[in-house]
Amino acid sequence: MMTLDVDIRLRRGAFQMAAKFSAPGDGITVLFGPSGSGKTSVLSAIAGLVPSDGHILLGGCPLGDSAAGLWLPPHRRGIGLVFQDARLFPHLTVRRNIAYAWTRAPIERRHDVADVARFFDIVSLLDRPVGNLSGGEKSRVALARALVAAPDFLLLDEPFAALDGTRRRSFIAVLLEMQRSFRLPMLVVTHNIDDAAALASNLVALKAGQVVAQGLFGEASRDPAFAALLDARDSGAAVSGLLLHKGHGAAQRYLWLRADHIVLAMEPPKAVSARNILEGEIVSLRQEADGSRLVELKTAAGPILSRVTVEAVEELGLAEGRVAWALVKAHAL
Amino acid sequence: MPSPAEMQILGTSFSVAAFALLWSLPLAIACAFLLSRQFPGRFTLDGLVHLPIILPPVLTGFLLLLLFGRQGPIGAWLERVAGIHLAFTRQGAALATAVMTFPILVRAIRVAFEAMDPKLFEAAAMLRAHPLDRFFSIALPLAGPGILAGMVTAFAAGMGEFGAVITFAANIPGETQTLPLAIYAVLQQPGGEGAALRLAALSFTVAMAGLIGAELLQRWMLRRLKG
Repeated sequence: MMTLDVDIRLRRGAFQMAAKFSAPGDGITVLFGPSGSGKTSVLSAIAGLVPSDGHILLGGCPLGDSAAGLWLPPHRRGIGLVFQDARLFPHLTVRRNIAYAWTRAPIERRHDVADVARFFDIVSLLDRPVGNLSGGEKSRVALARALVAAPDFLLLDEPFAALDGTRRRSFIAVLLEMQRSFRLPMLVVTHNIDDAAALASNLVALKAGQVVAQGLFGEASRDPAFAALLDARDSGAAVSGLLLHKGHGAAQRYLWLRADHIVLAMEPPKAVSARNILEGEIVSLRQEADGSRLVELKTAAGPILSRVTVEAVEELGLAEGRVAWALVKAHAL
Repeated sequence: MPSPAEMQILGTSFSVAAFALLWSLPLAIACAFLLSRQFPGRFTLDGLVHLPIILPPVLTGFLLLLLFGRQGPIGAWLERVAGIHLAFTRQGAALATAVMTFPILVRAIRVAFEAMDPKLFEAAAMLRAHPLDRFFSIALPLAGPGILAGMVTAFAAGMGEFGAVITFAANIPGETQTLPLAIYAVLQQPGGEGAALRLAALSFTVAMAGLIGAELLQRWMLRRLKG
């Protein structure tokens, strides 16, 4: 297992970073944080594009260790990096962009380019110049190129930032599929909680250059320090479920349920349009900055948060220990 | 139609300009790339490269004579080690031309390197390309149109180089007598204006053909790059 162990310190002007975390060599670790928290700096340091103090280990081998005076240059780290802007080479066709990575990959780890092209659905683009590809096409080509370089660990810097709606969701599906099919561990930077939940098996939360929470996504996302990073309207909880894939079995994935999208009932609801109803026990009632209350419900699917008004707390008699039913609107899924 | 003598002059001009370009291009590309980066001593190198523009050409020719002449430190060494004479030879004319056109070449290529997105080098590094590999696989091809533009301008300027060439390589018909040197030579003789005009027309035609050819070539290259 190629676990990535990071313990770095770096300074950029007034910004100081001291980040210590590890990303397991299996699955996808999401590096989450608001903009300016230093997510991209962490990736650049791991990639070796910017110098940092401390050490970075990949599968136990040091890529950089300032105490030992060791620093591997980016091209010798076996780390792949997919940038926010795809950074395809403008003087090469799609095929030659991918071939660029292929010729430089270790011979025994070379992929079949035709297979990879089919996987990313870019066969018809292969002989096109990269200049007139759409945003979605560019990011797929960038992913294919990064994969063909056969890295031990792949870093992705908000690779779907330029995509919206359907294209974003399909890109996330491609990423998940890619991780599973090629057994390539990934560290993905994002500040979008839905993307984070959809992708993550693990979570590392970054705030002002410091790691404030880390661990399995389901657990680490319950950390109050992580909740504090979210916008009020994003606060919620992760529920895990099995995502069925066509012909590939099932995978454990998370779904972010926003507290604003959950309705509470004190009796088993009948004749309602919500398709998902979860029974649970109220374990806490927290007062929010805007005066509303965040109710935490312990259910079989894990804790769920619901935001209610003070009036609702009194009218329904919400209190710790009481049983309640959470109604989740299907569009929240 | 040009006479055999005029064809010979044209041939000398071409050969001097071509050799000058051939010798100076690799060094010019290296200098241009260095100057497009930040490093200590950049300012000094920049000054050194531009020196031939600032100095009077005759002085440049004289300095070359001092360095590369038979008695000069480099000239004497070249003669001892390789039996090469530069002063008053075709290759000497090419050397003088190369020195004079060097700043033009470096300037054009440097602009191309500076216009390049440095993020592409990071992307290449993350695909396991080492620094020299990145230079040859990314920087050089992307600078192609700029290098071509520099080559054309330097070649055209090289065909017309006068002061440094006549000082270092003299005006020897069939050896170092290029178009401008030939025009100068016929103007020295009484009634040479007619011959000078013919040479001037020849010079003009060649230059125009070169410019049009270069424009077409550059358009084709840009089309390939942009897709």
